Amino acid sequence: MSTSGDTFECGHSLEQLSNYLDTGEFSDPGHLPDCPECQAGLASLRRLGELGDELVTADLAAAGNGTDDWMQSILDNLRLELRPGRDIPVHAGTAGDILTETEGSISALIRSVTDSHPGTAAGKCRLDGDVGTPGAPVTVRVDVAVVFGHPLEERAAALRRDIAAALARHTELNIAAIDVTVADVLEPRLQGAPAAWTSRPPQPSEETP
Amino acid sequence: MNQPSASGDAAQGATAAELREVILAVDGVTEVYPARPLWQTIAGAARSAVTGDPLPAVLVEFAGDTAHVRTRIGVSGARPAPDVARSVAGAIRAHLGPRPATVQVQIVQVRSEAKPAGEST
Repeated sequence: MSTSGDTFECGHSLEQLSNYLDTGEFSDPGHLPDCPECQAGLASLRRLGELGDELVTADLAAAGNGTDDWMQSILDNLRLELRPGRDIPVHAGTAGDILTETEGSISALIRSVTDSHPGTAAGKCRLDGDVGTPGAPVTVRVDVAVVFGHPLEERAAALRRDIAAALARHTELNIAAIDVTVADVLEPRLQGAPAAWTSRPPQPSEETP
Repeated sequence: MNQPSASGDAAQGATAAELREVILAVDGVTEVYPARPLWQTIAGAARSAVTGDPLPAVLVEFAGDTAHVRTRIGVSGARPAPDVARSVAGAIRAHLGPRPATVQVQIVQVRSEAKPAGEST
Protein backbone atom coordinates (compact mmCIF):
# COMPACT_ATOMS: atom_id res chain seq x y z
CA MET A 1 0.00 0.00 0.00
CA SER A 2 1.53 3.29 -0.98
CA THR A 3 0.63 6.71 0.28
CA SER A 4 2.11 10.16 0.00
CA GLY A 5 4.16 11.53 2.85
CA ASP A 6 2.10 14.15 4.68
CA THR A 7 2.89 14.14 8.36
CA PHE A 8 0.62 14.20 11.39
CA GLU A 9 1.14 16.54 14.33
CA CYS A 10 3.40 13.94 15.90
CA GLY A 11 5.75 14.12 12.93
CA HIS A 12 4.97 10.68 11.53
CA SER A 13 3.09 9.92 8.35
CA LEU A 14 0.51 7.52 7.03
CA GLU A 15 3.19 6.14 4.73
CA GLN A 16 5.35 5.27 7.73
CA LEU A 17 2.42 3.54 9.38
CA SER A 18 1.71 1.61 6.22
CA ASN A 19 5.34 0.54 6.02
CA TYR A 20 5.21 -0.49 9.65
CA LEU A 21 2.26 -2.77 8.96
CA ASP A 22 4.00 -4.20 5.93
CA THR A 23 7.46 -4.68 7.42
CA GLY A 24 7.23 -4.28 11.19
CA GLU A 25 9.83 -1.54 10.99
CA PHE A 26 9.31 1.93 12.43
CA SER A 27 11.86 4.62 13.15
CA ASP A 28 10.53 5.28 16.64
CA PRO A 29 8.64 2.18 17.80
CA GLY A 30 8.32 3.51 21.33
CA HIS A 31 6.19 6.33 20.00
CA LEU A 32 3.35 4.19 18.69
CA PRO A 33 1.75 3.16 22.01
CA ASP A 34 1.80 6.79 23.17
CA CYS A 35 0.19 8.37 20.10
CA PRO A 36 -3.59 8.12 19.64
CA GLU A 37 -3.39 9.53 16.11
CA CYS A 38 -0.95 6.83 15.02
CA GLN A 39 -3.07 4.21 16.79
CA ALA A 40 -6.15 5.39 14.91
CA GLY A 41 -4.20 5.36 11.66
CA LEU A 42 -2.99 1.82 12.23
CA ALA A 43 -6.51 0.66 13.03
CA SER A 44 -7.90 2.25 9.86
CA LEU A 45 -5.13 0.80 7.68
CA ARG A 46 -5.73 -2.66 9.13
CA ARG A 47 -9.43 -2.42 8.36
CA LEU A 48 -8.65 -1.26 4.83
CA GLY A 49 -6.38 -4.26 4.49
CA GLU A 50 -9.23 -6.51 5.59
CA LEU A 51 -11.47 -4.98 2.93
CA GLY A 52 -8.76 -5.63 0.37
CA ASP A 53 -8.61 -9.22 1.56
CA GLU A 54 -12.36 -9.52 1.03
CA LEU A 55 -11.99 -8.29 -2.52
CA VAL A 56 -9.18 -10.67 -3.29
CA THR A 57 -11.03 -13.54 -1.66
CA ALA A 58 -13.98 -12.77 -3.91
CA ASP A 59 -11.56 -13.23 -6.81
CA LEU A 60 -12.99 -10.22 -8.54
CA ALA A 61 -9.88 -8.13 -8.84
CA ALA A 62 -6.47 -7.47 -7.41
CA ALA A 63 -7.38 -4.60 -5.15
CA GLY A 64 -5.77 -3.02 -2.13
CA ASN A 65 -2.44 -1.99 -3.59
CA GLY A 66 -3.16 1.65 -2.82
CA THR A 67 -3.08 2.74 -6.44
CA ASP A 68 -6.80 2.32 -7.05
CA ASP A 69 -8.63 5.62 -7.14
CA TRP A 70 -11.10 4.62 -4.47
CA MET A 71 -8.45 3.49 -2.03
CA GLN A 72 -6.29 6.51 -2.74
CA SER A 73 -9.29 8.70 -1.96
CA ILE A 74 -9.80 6.90 1.33
CA LEU A 75 -6.12 7.29 2.21
CA ASP A 76 -6.19 10.97 1.32
CA ASN A 77 -9.07 11.50 3.71
CA LEU A 78 -7.43 9.43 6.41
CA ARG A 79 -4.41 11.64 6.17
CA LEU A 80 -6.57 14.71 6.74
CA GLU A 81 -8.63 13.25 9.53
CA LEU A 82 -5.98 11.58 11.65
CA ARG A 83 -5.43 14.79 13.52
CA PRO A 84 -6.90 15.90 16.84
CA GLY A 85 -9.02 18.63 15.23
CA ARG A 86 -11.46 20.68 17.25
CA ASP A 87 -12.35 20.12 20.89
CA ILE A 88 -15.86 18.80 21.49
CA PRO A 89 -17.10 19.74 24.96
CA VAL A 90 -18.49 17.24 27.43
CA HIS A 91 -20.61 18.39 30.36
CA ALA A 92 -18.43 18.54 33.46
CA GLY A 93 -19.81 17.40 36.76
CA THR A 94 -17.79 20.01 38.66
CA ALA A 95 -17.54 23.72 37.85
CA GLY A 96 -14.12 24.66 36.57
CA ASP A 97 -13.34 21.26 35.11
CA ILE A 98 -12.87 21.04 31.35
CA LEU A 99 -13.86 17.77 29.72
CA THR A 100 -13.54 17.37 25.98
CA GLU A 101 -13.29 14.87 23.17
CA THR A 102 -11.16 15.52 20.13
CA GLU A 103 -12.85 15.74 16.76
CA GLY A 104 -10.31 13.21 15.53
CA SER A 105 -11.42 10.65 18.09
CA ILE A 106 -15.03 10.97 16.98
CA SER A 107 -14.12 10.81 13.29
CA ALA A 108 -12.15 7.65 14.03
CA LEU A 109 -15.15 6.22 15.88
CA ILE A 110 -17.39 6.89 12.88
CA ARG A 111 -14.81 5.26 10.61
CA SER A 112 -14.61 2.25 12.85
CA VAL A 113 -18.39 1.83 12.91
CA THR A 114 -18.53 2.20 9.14
CA ASP A 115 -15.65 -0.16 8.44
CA SER A 116 -17.18 -2.80 10.73
CA HIS A 117 -19.87 -3.36 8.11
CA PRO A 118 -18.78 -6.11 5.70
CA GLY A 119 -17.57 -4.86 2.35
CA THR A 120 -17.66 -1.23 3.40
CA ALA A 121 -14.94 1.37 3.88
CA ALA A 122 -15.29 4.96 5.02
CA GLY A 123 -13.92 7.66 2.76
CA LYS A 124 -14.51 11.30 3.63
CA CYS A 125 -15.88 11.76 7.12
CA ARG A 126 -16.81 15.23 8.35
CA LEU A 127 -18.57 16.87 11.27
CA ASP A 128 -20.19 20.01 9.87
CA GLY A 129 -21.27 22.57 12.42
CA ASP A 130 -20.00 24.31 15.52
CA VAL A 131 -18.96 21.23 17.48
CA GLY A 132 -17.40 23.45 20.16
CA THR A 133 -20.75 24.92 21.21
CA PRO A 134 -22.97 22.60 23.26
CA GLY A 135 -26.32 22.03 21.59
CA ALA A 136 -25.34 23.47 18.22
CA PRO A 137 -26.69 21.34 15.36
CA VAL A 138 -24.07 19.14 13.73
CA THR A 139 -24.38 17.25 10.47
CA VAL A 140 -22.30 14.13 9.92
CA ARG A 141 -21.23 13.50 6.33
CA VAL A 142 -19.71 10.16 5.45
CA ASP A 143 -18.65 8.92 2.03
CA VAL A 144 -18.34 5.17 1.73
CA ALA A 145 -17.08 2.64 -0.77
CA VAL A 146 -19.13 -0.55 -0.92
CA VAL A 147 -18.15 -3.83 -2.53
CA PHE A 148 -20.44 -4.91 -5.36
CA GLY A 149 -23.17 -7.27 -4.22
CA HIS A 150 -24.03 -5.53 -0.96
CA PRO A 151 -27.49 -3.87 -1.01
CA LEU A 152 -26.80 -0.16 -1.02
CA GLU A 153 -30.03 1.19 0.47
CA GLU A 154 -29.95 -1.28 3.31
CA ARG A 155 -26.28 -0.60 3.88
CA ALA A 156 -26.81 3.17 4.01
CA ALA A 157 -29.73 2.80 6.42
CA ALA A 158 -27.77 0.45 8.66
CA LEU A 159 -24.80 2.82 8.68
CA ARG A 160 -26.97 5.78 9.66
CA ARG A 161 -28.53 3.75 12.44
CA ASP A 162 -25.22 2.52 13.83
CA ILE A 163 -23.44 5.86 13.51
CA ALA A 164 -26.37 7.60 15.25
CA ALA A 165 -26.26 5.05 18.06
CA ALA A 166 -22.49 5.40 18.51
CA LEU A 167 -22.63 9.19 18.56
CA ALA A 168 -25.56 9.23 20.98
CA ARG A 169 -23.64 6.92 23.30
CA HIS A 170 -20.20 8.48 23.10
CA THR A 171 -20.81 12.20 22.53
CA GLU A 172 -23.15 14.94 23.69
CA LEU A 173 -23.40 16.38 20.20
CA ASN A 174 -26.74 17.54 18.82
CA ILE A 175 -26.76 15.47 15.63
CA ALA A 176 -29.13 17.14 13.16
CA ALA A 177 -28.52 14.74 10.29
CA ILE A 178 -26.32 11.92 9.12
CA ASP A 179 -25.67 11.99 5.39
CA VAL A 180 -24.26 8.78 3.97
CA THR A 181 -23.11 8.91 0.36
CA VAL A 182 -22.12 5.78 -1.49
CA ALA A 183 -19.28 7.36 -3.42
CA ASP A 184 -17.90 4.17 -4.92
CA VAL A 185 -19.31 0.79 -5.81
CA LEU A 186 -16.45 -1.58 -6.34
CA GLU A 187 -17.34 -3.92 -9.18
CA PRO A 188 -15.62 -5.91 -11.92
CA ARG A 189 -15.63 -4.70 -15.48
CA LEU A 190 -17.87 -6.37 -18.00
CA GLN A 191 -16.89 -9.59 -19.72
CA GLY A 192 -13.85 -9.24 -21.93
CA ALA A 193 -12.44 -6.23 -20.16
CA PRO A 194 -9.35 -6.49 -17.98
CA ALA A 195 -10.06 -7.31 -14.38
CA ALA A 196 -10.15 -4.05 -12.49
CA TRP A 197 -12.40 -2.10 -10.22
CA THR A 198 -14.56 0.67 -11.54
CA SER A 199 -16.79 3.13 -9.76
CA ARG A 200 -20.42 3.88 -10.33
CA PRO A 201 -21.62 7.47 -9.97
CA PRO A 202 -22.22 8.60 -6.40
CA GLN A 203 -25.57 7.68 -4.92
CA PRO A 204 -26.36 10.06 -2.10
CA SER A 205 -28.70 8.88 0.56
CA GLU A 206 -29.74 11.37 3.20
CA GLU A 207 -32.01 11.05 6.15
CA THR A 208 -32.46 12.72 9.49
CA PRO A 209 -31.76 10.23 12.30
CA MET B 1 2.84 27.56 32.87
CA ASN B 2 4.65 27.47 36.18
CA GLN B 3 8.16 26.11 35.99
CA PRO B 4 8.57 23.77 38.93
CA SER B 5 11.62 23.69 41.17
CA ALA B 6 13.73 20.55 41.51
CA SER B 7 11.96 19.55 44.74
CA GLY B 8 8.65 20.46 43.18
CA ASP B 9 9.50 18.22 40.24
CA ALA B 10 9.80 15.21 42.52
CA ALA B 11 6.50 15.89 44.26
CA GLN B 12 4.72 16.52 41.00
CA GLY B 13 6.27 13.48 39.40
CA ALA B 14 5.10 11.28 42.26
CA THR B 15 1.62 12.75 42.12
CA ALA B 16 1.50 12.35 38.35
CA ALA B 17 2.54 8.71 38.58
CA GLU B 18 -0.10 8.05 41.23
CA LEU B 19 -2.75 9.79 39.20
CA ARG B 20 -1.89 7.75 36.12
CA GLU B 21 -2.69 4.59 38.07
CA VAL B 22 -5.85 6.18 39.46
CA ILE B 23 -7.01 7.10 35.96
CA LEU B 24 -6.20 3.68 34.51
CA ALA B 25 -8.28 2.09 37.26
CA VAL B 26 -11.42 3.93 36.11
CA ASP B 27 -13.81 1.61 34.33
CA GLY B 28 -13.72 2.30 30.61
CA VAL B 29 -10.23 3.85 30.44
CA THR B 30 -7.92 1.95 28.13
CA GLU B 31 -4.96 4.29 27.82
CA VAL B 32 -3.39 7.35 29.41
CA TYR B 33 -1.53 9.26 26.74
CA PRO B 34 1.16 11.87 27.38
CA ALA B 35 -0.52 15.16 28.19
CA ARG B 36 0.57 17.03 25.11
CA PRO B 37 1.39 19.68 24.23
CA LEU B 38 2.93 20.55 27.59
CA TRP B 39 5.14 17.48 27.77
CA GLN B 40 6.69 18.56 24.51
CA THR B 41 7.98 21.84 25.90
CA ILE B 42 11.67 22.36 25.44
CA ALA B 43 12.21 22.71 29.18
CA GLY B 44 10.48 19.45 29.95
CA ALA B 45 12.22 17.54 27.21
CA ALA B 46 15.58 18.94 28.27
CA ARG B 47 15.05 17.94 31.91
CA SER B 48 14.01 14.48 30.83
CA ALA B 49 17.06 14.14 28.62
CA VAL B 50 19.38 15.20 31.44
CA THR B 51 17.81 13.19 34.24
CA GLY B 52 16.77 10.19 32.21
CA ASP B 53 13.40 10.29 33.94
CA PRO B 54 10.45 9.62 31.68
CA LEU B 55 8.10 12.50 31.08
CA PRO B 56 4.99 12.15 33.22
CA ALA B 57 1.87 10.97 31.44
CA VAL B 58 -0.32 13.18 33.58
CA LEU B 59 0.44 16.87 33.90
CA VAL B 60 0.23 18.17 37.45
CA GLU B 61 0.96 21.74 38.42
CA PHE B 62 0.48 23.43 41.75
CA ALA B 63 -0.43 27.09 42.05
CA GLY B 64 -0.57 27.81 45.76
CA ASP B 65 -2.94 25.25 47.22
CA THR B 66 -4.63 24.55 43.94
CA ALA B 67 -3.65 21.59 41.80
CA HIS B 68 -4.14 21.79 38.06
CA VAL B 69 -4.32 18.36 36.44
CA ARG B 70 -4.45 17.61 32.75
CA THR B 71 -4.71 14.20 31.16
CA ARG B 72 -5.46 12.68 27.75
CA ILE B 73 -7.10 9.30 27.68
CA GLY B 74 -8.38 6.58 25.42
CA VAL B 75 -11.65 4.87 26.29
CA SER B 76 -13.33 1.62 25.42
CA GLY B 77 -16.85 1.37 24.09
CA ALA B 78 -18.00 -0.41 27.23
CA ARG B 79 -19.28 2.79 28.83
CA PRO B 80 -20.42 6.08 27.30
CA ALA B 81 -17.30 8.18 26.78
CA PRO B 82 -18.70 11.30 28.54
CA ASP B 83 -19.46 9.20 31.62
CA VAL B 84 -15.89 7.91 31.61
CA ALA B 85 -14.52 11.47 31.39
CA ARG B 86 -16.61 12.52 34.37
CA SER B 87 -15.56 9.45 36.32
CA VAL B 88 -11.91 10.23 35.62
CA ALA B 89 -12.33 13.80 36.84
CA GLY B 90 -14.05 12.49 39.97
CA ALA B 91 -11.34 9.92 40.62
CA ILE B 92 -8.63 12.57 40.30
CA ARG B 93 -10.45 14.81 42.78
CA ALA B 94 -10.95 11.94 45.18
CA HIS B 95 -7.25 11.11 45.06
CA LEU B 96 -6.22 14.71 45.69
CA GLY B 97 -8.47 14.90 48.74
CA PRO B 98 -9.57 18.29 50.03
CA ARG B 99 -6.99 20.18 48.01
CA PRO B 100 -8.66 22.57 45.52
CA ALA B 101 -8.18 21.31 41.99
CA THR B 102 -9.06 21.95 38.39
CA VAL B 103 -9.13 18.99 36.08
CA GLN B 104 -8.86 18.81 32.32
CA VAL B 105 -9.71 15.50 30.71
CA GLN B 106 -9.39 15.15 26.97
CA ILE B 107 -10.61 11.98 25.27
CA VAL B 108 -8.40 11.34 22.27
CA GLN B 109 -9.50 7.81 21.37
CA VAL B 110 -12.88 6.11 21.51
CA ARG B 111 -12.95 2.46 20.59
CA SER B 112 -16.10 1.12 19.08
CA GLU B 113 -17.45 -2.09 20.52
CA ALA B 114 -17.15 -3.73 17.10
CA LYS B 115 -13.37 -3.76 17.28
CA PRO B 116 -11.76 -5.80 14.54
CA ALA B 117 -10.22 -9.05 15.68
CA GLY B 118 -6.53 -8.79 16.51
CA GLU B 119 -6.52 -5.03 17.04
CA SER B 120 -3.88 -4.06 19.57
CA THR B 121 -4.39 -1.96 22.69
